[in-house]
Amino acid sequence: MDERTNATRPGRLAAAIRHLGGQALDGMIAASNGLNNFLESNAVYVFSGVRPIGESAVVLDRDGRSTLIVTPAWDEARAAAASSTDRTIGADDLAAMLKSVVGTHRLDLSRTISVGLSLLGTALFDRIVATLGTVPKATDELARDLARLRMPDELQLMERATWIAERGYERLLEYARPGIREFELAAELYCFMKKLGAEDNFLLMSASQHNLAVRAAGERVLDVGDIILSELTPCYRGQFVQICRTTVIGEPRPVIGEKFAILQDAMGAGLHAGRAGATVADVTRAINGVIAKAGYGDYCRPPYMRVRGHGLGITSDRPGDIVDSNERMLESGMVFVMHPNQYIPESGYLMCGEPVVVTDTGARALSARPAALDVIAV
Amino acid sequence: MQTVQPCVTIGSYIWAQDRLPYDEFTPRLDALRAAMERNGWPAVLVYGDVREHAALAYLSSFIPRVRWGMALLPRSGDARLLCAMSTRDLPAMRTLTWIADVRSGMGPEWEKAFDPWLERFTDDQAQKLGTIGFDIMAPVLYAAVRRSLGERFSLQRADDGVAIPAHRKRPRELTMIRASCKLLEAAAKTFAESWRGNHAPETAALDAERFARSLAAQDVRTLVSLDGGRTLVPFQGRFETCAGPLVGYLAVKVLGYWADMFVTVDEGSATAAVRHAGDALDAIIADMRPGARTDALHAKAVAALAPSKLHPVLGGSIGHGIGLSLHEGAEFQASGDTMLAEDGVYTVQVGVADAKAGHVLSAIVRVAAKGAEILARSPGIAASTSD
Repeated sequence: MDERTNATRPGRLAAAIRHLGGQALDGMIAASNGLNNFLESNAVYVFSGVRPIGESAVVLDRDGRSTLIVTPAWDEARAAAASSTDRTIGADDLAAMLKSVVGTHRLDLSRTISVGLSLLGTALFDRIVATLGTVPKATDELARDLARLRMPDELQLMERATWIAERGYERLLEYARPGIREFELAAELYCFMKKLGAEDNFLLMSASQHNLAVRAAGERVLDVGDIILSELTPCYRGQFVQICRTTVIGEPRPVIGEKFAILQDAMGAGLHAGRAGATVADVTRAINGVIAKAGYGDYCRPPYMRVRGHGLGITSDRPGDIVDSNERMLESGMVFVMHPNQYIPESGYLMCGEPVVVTDTGARALSARPAALDVIAV
Repeated sequence: MQTVQPCVTIGSYIWAQDRLPYDEFTPRLDALRAAMERNGWPAVLVYGDVREHAALAYLSSFIPRVRWGMALLPRSGDARLLCAMSTRDLPAMRTLTWIADVRSGMGPEWEKAFDPWLERFTDDQAQKLGTIGFDIMAPVLYAAVRRSLGERFSLQRADDGVAIPAHRKRPRELTMIRASCKLLEAAAKTFAESWRGNHAPETAALDAERFARSLAAQDVRTLVSLDGGRTLVPFQGRFETCAGPLVGYLAVKVLGYWADMFVTVDEGSATAAVRHAGDALDAIIADMRPGARTDALHAKAVAALAPSKLHPVLGGSIGHGIGLSLHEGAEFQASGDTMLAEDGVYTVQVGVADAKAGHVLSAIVRVAAKGAEILARSPGIAASTSD
């Protein structure tokens, strides 16, 4: 068991302590299933800074004392070195250890809230409930709400992650050629970005003469005339970013460039609309407006597109999906990926997207070079 | 070994009909239908997620790359597969399974995909449906299932009543596992050679990963030690060189089947301690035959390693089954009454650690009628036991 007594209190834990005080609560139990979904908040990561291997939990009390429990037990040393909690405990039985830690913190479970318990497997959830004797009130939005604005150091990490993504895309331009298989290209890109420090990567990359959507890499052999779609999504020290790119092997038909320009214009409109105080719906309407004006309003719906962007876990997935039904107000410091990716009958699916940070004057792309229709000469 | 779960598995996935044609699934489904008959279940719901999907893959070939999937398998009639993907992704999902009817189960699609499938069961009486894999289903999805079932259906856990995946591997499965072991050994060799070339442990692990992925590994997991083998850590991207032997862990997945291995390599010849662990591994393997009890194997390993204790990363276990999951069946621990099955495939692992250093060695073994067949083994230590 590691004991940390002199740690400075990091922002997320401090915010949670303030929340407990403000709501007259006794404590919080935040759990993670260890699955690291890049579209969701990982409550244990948010409150401890540790990306867990297995199921895990952070226990926090009204006095500000905090304990991280990680599984498997052998991961304790790594977790303790990285965790911002006072204590870190490795365990193989999360439910039993949780009961012990709740006792140590003397939590009154009737005045304790939970975050993320509903993401655990049903068997473990039931065991925790049986062990604790009750279900702490679920406040599953708390971690994503408290972390909805990136702190300066997190923003720096996102900028580094974006740098990695852009280098990854440059590697694609160097490495992709007719004759190699999609999975070979994906493997190269994944490992290249990992070498630059990306510990995870939601990497979708596929090619076709006429794409219907992007998908995970398969066995298809790249060919002249293929349009390669790529979603490069490296995670650097807990911060995911995403760039979306469209690349043609060989000289593209003129219509591809014409249609890609629509997406670039839509991106520009989205960036302009994405200022603090606007809503997510405003951004979506700005993007869709450009595409509709170009004659493709009927295609602004699934299966021709999915969303115009989304938040980025594992810190916070706020502001959520960029869709016209999302009335959430943008705040300065929010980060999301904006991508007016779109199926167009004449060109197939095309991709154009950047990670952006919301400012008072609009959304600012973190990438140095905006998406262009790139060509691999053959 | 548990490793950090990636947010998506990037390798190439497809239902490889040339390797596992539909007739491979026939006996698997027949066994499940027999269980349905015995238990009076008109259907079984089989759930799997991106981390654990052995039963789902065994019965449907479907492996979720993100989130989850669920096969709805009736005693008679057509199966349906639900996946947590948008409708846009369904054409790609249909290439992963023999089940023709693949639907999205995301958000509002759930009720459109799940509820109508139940309409075929028109019996007026309340009926029980079997479930497999529901232990790992998130409560929020479980609640959606229960809402859809209403009062007409109840759920009965089937995991313990049917051996899925089967302990005994069929010939085609053994072919897949051999392919996985072959790639694993080659990647482990890359791991060791890269480290011997003065690369940091994380660099060496990444070289091994790149090698395996370039040869169509569907997934690769690695752990390395940065403290001489006392502890293992997942990728941290720091690429620090460190003194001491290379101690790491490597797992690769080929066509759905896992193989894993510990890699312990010294700068010179193996130390006496590592050779001692190699002898302990040989002693266990020599006893691996159909019907052998896993607690007895554990006792033998502990005795062979004495006075040292099992390495903490092993969590008190010296092995387990391996195949569609990295961990199939029960762990080989001090207590337990599990017996090895003929044509079962197991990973066996031994190692020790003290305050200064540690090491772990392992092998993948098929239990044949006449004894153990070593399918893969940690590099650098000569094998002394074979079929």
